[in-house]
Amino acid sequence: MTSPSQAAIAGAETPDPDGVGLTSEPSGGQEPAKDQLVGRSPGQLMWMRFKRDRTGVVSAFVVLTMFAIAALAPVISWLYGKDPWTRYGQIEPGLLNDNGYPVKPNGGIDGEYWFGLEPGLGRDVLTQLVYGMRTSLSLAVIITILSVLLAIVIGVAGGYMGGKTDYFLGRLTDLMMSFPNQLFFVAFVPVVGALVVSPQDEMPTWLRASVLIFVMWLLGWMTLARLLRGQVLTLREREFVEAAKVAGTPPWRIIRKELLPNVVTPILVQSTYMLPNFVTAVAGLSFLGVGMPASTPDWGRMFATGAEVYQSNITYMFFPGVAMVVFIVAFNLLGDSVRDAFDPKSGR
Amino acid sequence: MRTARVSVVGLAAGALILTGCSSGGGGDAGDVSKDDAAKQQVRYDFGDAAASKGPAEPVKGAKKGGDLTVYQRDSYAHLDPAQMYVSDEGTMSTLIHRRLTSYKRDSAGKYTVVGDLATDSGQASKDQRTWKYTLKDGIKWEDGSPITSKDIRHTFERQFAPFISEGPVFIQQWMAGKSGTGYRKLLPDGPYKGDHLPDKVLETPDDKTVIFHFKDPQPDLPYALGMAGYAAVQEKGDTKEKYDKKPVSSGPYKIASFKSGKSMKLVRNEEWDAKTDPVRHAYPDAHNIQFGVSYEASTKRLVSDSAENQTAVSYTNQVDASSMQSVRSDPKVKDRSLSGYQPYVGKISLNMDRLKDKKVREAIAHALPAQSLVQAFGGSGGGELAGNYLSPTVAGHTESDPYGKVENPQGDVKKAKRILKEAGKTGQKLTFAFQNSPEWQDYSIAAKDNLTKAGFDVQLKDIVADTYYDQIGKVKNKYDMYHSSWGADWPSAGTVIPPTLDGRQVQDGASNYSHYNNPEMNKEMDRISKIKDPDTAAKEWGKLADKILKEDLPDVPLMYYKQIQLYGSKVGGAVNNAVISSIDPTQLYVKK
Amino acid sequence: MLRFLVRRSLGAMVILLIISAVTFFLFYAVPRDPAMLACGKNCTPDALAVIRKNMGIDEPVPMQYWHFMVGIFAGRDFAAGACPAPCFGYSFANQDPVWNTILDRFPTTVSLTLGGAVVFLTIGLGAGMIAAWKRGTLADKLFSTGSLVLSSLQIYFVGPLVLALLVFNLGLLDQPTYVPLSEDPAGWFMGLLIPWMVIQIIFTANYTRLSRSSMIEQLSEDHVRTARAKGMSGKFVFFRYAWRGSLIPIVTIFGVDLGSLLGGAMITEWTFSLPGLGRLAVESVQNTDLPMVMGVMLFSATFIILLNVIVDAAYAFIDPRVRLA
Repeated sequence: MTSPSQAAIAGAETPDPDGVGLTSEPSGGQEPAKDQLVGRSPGQLMWMRFKRDRTGVVSAFVVLTMFAIAALAPVISWLYGKDPWTRYGQIEPGLLNDNGYPVKPNGGIDGEYWFGLEPGLGRDVLTQLVYGMRTSLSLAVIITILSVLLAIVIGVAGGYMGGKTDYFLGRLTDLMMSFPNQLFFVAFVPVVGALVVSPQDEMPTWLRASVLIFVMWLLGWMTLARLLRGQVLTLREREFVEAAKVAGTPPWRIIRKELLPNVVTPILVQSTYMLPNFVTAVAGLSFLGVGMPASTPDWGRMFATGAEVYQSNITYMFFPGVAMVVFIVAFNLLGDSVRDAFDPKSGR
Repeated sequence: MRTARVSVVGLAAGALILTGCSSGGGGDAGDVSKDDAAKQQVRYDFGDAAASKGPAEPVKGAKKGGDLTVYQRDSYAHLDPAQMYVSDEGTMSTLIHRRLTSYKRDSAGKYTVVGDLATDSGQASKDQRTWKYTLKDGIKWEDGSPITSKDIRHTFERQFAPFISEGPVFIQQWMAGKSGTGYRKLLPDGPYKGDHLPDKVLETPDDKTVIFHFKDPQPDLPYALGMAGYAAVQEKGDTKEKYDKKPVSSGPYKIASFKSGKSMKLVRNEEWDAKTDPVRHAYPDAHNIQFGVSYEASTKRLVSDSAENQTAVSYTNQVDASSMQSVRSDPKVKDRSLSGYQPYVGKISLNMDRLKDKKVREAIAHALPAQSLVQAFGGSGGGELAGNYLSPTVAGHTESDPYGKVENPQGDVKKAKRILKEAGKTGQKLTFAFQNSPEWQDYSIAAKDNLTKAGFDVQLKDIVADTYYDQIGKVKNKYDMYHSSWGADWPSAGTVIPPTLDGRQVQDGASNYSHYNNPEMNKEMDRISKIKDPDTAAKEWGKLADKILKEDLPDVPLMYYKQIQLYGSKVGGAVNNAVISSIDPTQLYVKK
Repeated sequence: MLRFLVRRSLGAMVILLIISAVTFFLFYAVPRDPAMLACGKNCTPDALAVIRKNMGIDEPVPMQYWHFMVGIFAGRDFAAGACPAPCFGYSFANQDPVWNTILDRFPTTVSLTLGGAVVFLTIGLGAGMIAAWKRGTLADKLFSTGSLVLSSLQIYFVGPLVLALLVFNLGLLDQPTYVPLSEDPAGWFMGLLIPWMVIQIIFTANYTRLSRSSMIEQLSEDHVRTARAKGMSGKFVFFRYAWRGSLIPIVTIFGVDLGSLLGGAMITEWTFSLPGLGRLAVESVQNTDLPMVMGVMLFSATFIILLNVIVDAAYAFIDPRVRLA
């Protein structure tokens, strides 16, 4: 059984002794025998396997770096001596030509403006990008957390309680899945906005962000909830849960102590797929013109601007585009590695 | 294998880097100079019977035949002439709707108001209260029946029907002798319930004669009658609301099909007789109009000049702001472009009910960066710095610049800051409402930047494009400043100053957006309106406009709108028509 | 089978009903008056009342919803024009029944979707199977890494890049346009070539990944292993057993993708300015043309639900173990 020191390494997510002996995936039947011989918790095993996985480590590093860049945007801006709001190109003569495009080649890249200048307004692209990433990533992280929480509630409730509750929640999930989601976002962001703010008032940035988060959250939880329901449904029939029930453990405790620890894997794996999806979806909304207000630097709107100016200045699109590709690739690789580490059978 | 993955990621990024290179914009701006303004003549003469005779002066090298492809951004919301006030509808309408008068442009670029359906531009009585028009012979509807004075009477009477809400109202107001919407009481149901305008207002003694009687002198009637909104409507074919989708044509083309939001096909109207028309040609066999083509898309297609785009054109789509660079730096494309002024003056209206301190208004005027607006509209191809209220397309325009908007295109933040401090209003809250379009979004960012530096607490409020003018048009709106643009309906400042600055016009939906009301200036407007000599009137309007700007500053002038339009290499006869501020569709032909 | 279809169609209708109600009530709760917009600047209270009546918005919202639902089956008459069944509302911005516009735009979306789907399915499944078959070889590595990167690309990034390269720099192709297939097959094909390419780049990669992993999973299934153990040839097992089984997750995802693409590929259509449903939706949102948004929303939802049913029915054909109930 698990020793205290090992449990400490594995962290708070280590399942109860009852849980050991089962890897989280129901299909992992052959593994537990080996585990018990060595006596390591699944969390530890996962961590060990993950550390051996070079791609996983590299992509985790890349992902963390990007989050760090986003979080440290103000510091970067301070070190670099520019901010994302000043219209350098308009204020300093000689940077933009009469048509509003950078005079220098490659989007105006030089020692002063490392990533060039935004056509038209003449703002600095580097600081726009790091602040823009900050906006998009914070939105995506919040949406992911909220969606995961809701998915856990609905999935576990449906799976564990069964019967009418399950049926009702199942139909609700079906219903939400039938909404054309992109169209829903595009159509409802302005509507929700109009509902909460009178047309005469300015809509504060935080409110705009909340509306975006709310709308995407509404349609963001279904896949995971379905997955969790299925898992809980099988777990419910397992001996250790039956045993707990017979012993008179209250349902809340069973869910918390017996069920949840066993669905940590699908939650983690699914979240690593959800987060980049939300990043691109938020960016897509900005691209279609229903994202954050124009005064807030935003990753997605850089693509909208890029799509306007690409004919004369394709460089502008380059940095946000490459950053996006690198981020998504790294995150997907990380997701694969996390899955492999939890469940070596599925990886290959 | 996993290391391989990582290296491929690197490779892909490398490939992207290769595509990421682009050449510099360069310092050469291309040029649109002031000559355009000089070319644009600002006063049009009234033509006599000889000038109003058809056929129109042939376009050099033009041949009949071929189909023209036309890209338009917006579908036409209205085809009923009485509902037309939007300029792109007006441009197309010259092809299908004829009016009593029209504007003729000769090959030298000189404009005259001539009789279109009428034999001349109008016979006025001495006091200019009565105008008489005689219809030409041989003018017909697309069904072959003749156009008579009955149709013209019907055209004007239906302007009063409740469902007609979008078109111009000048003539209705003149007929009723009332401003605002009071004119509707003259004939509340239009002609549909058996009521008609009395002979003392509109007289049609025989099939060929139409006589207008007004309470006040109306020297500008021939101009007004040339508007798309006053084009003729067939009495027999009038289907009321449904006429808006299927009007009866009187022009050189008729509607073969109209799919709202998608396409429209115009084919030759065989009943139209070129000999009766001093203005229009009908060279192409058909105009195939595609809707929903954004400025950006039409520009890209026309720049490419690929096979199907060689015979393509757009009546009113302009080169979009971000494509100015590629259009103006490529000489081959520049050869296929037309540039010209639009009649609009872009201003920031200052809400006089909320910003009562002139010092504050002055500080705003000095702080606003006009150049940023020009930049947002694509540089000098899209606009020109404005010093005052009168556009170069209007008689009476001067180069005056009382607030240094041309001299200091970036705004004078220091001066603004000083003035605001003197007024003791530093930190004042200022709500700036703007239309949620890319150009104004860009500008709002620049304006906020400067105003904040000058010491204002700026609140930005973006408003959806389609409700923008409704919102700022409310007298009790809660915004301190908002942009507005106004264009003359004909090149007289009499269609600019009173509609935007007459304090007696302040009401919901009226175009005096700053709610400026100075009785002294109102009186001055009345005086100038009655001056019969157009040149004297033009000068007086110019003086008045500058006086209002200098002394009261209700609006900050920022930009005179301009535009660049493109056409395919096999399209001939493309000229910029100053009256409709776009390519003239009646002069186009397809090169063989 | 019949029972299954009837049951599912009923369920689908209930869902559509709920979606329409939710959308309708949310939209009409917005404090925005479409009559005010249509009334224009010479508006008088009388004119406004007439317009409200013409638009059918002078009634309480539940009545309006009732008329909307009845209109779908019986058609309605607006002063501006007739709206025959199925009447999904009348767009006052466009002066046309919503249904006409949807029918008008739909061929573009169908061409875009089906043209793209044919290629991304064949190439994607093919590449995935090769990768699974030749697992661990160079081809596998190439396919799987390539597809990983490609599937991470975004249309709003790749679209402009491809346009810049093929249209403006090399001049190989024209700006994408939509020409009806019936009018000019060659023009239809050339006009949609670039959008298809871009959709394919991204979707093909997804399907390669999917089909590879699903194939590998199938190859380790007991029945497949047993078949191998019984001495059946590798090829036979691969195509007869594993391939069939591997289709299930692919069909599921394909159903979802097809449904959402047919409901309007917004970003693609926006990037290439193609006049399809997706672009229509974005434009209508921008113009606050609520009847139109409502119509497109219902239309798209119908496709998503329809394809769900089809996918579930398809399981039975692919995998005999699945019983429809």
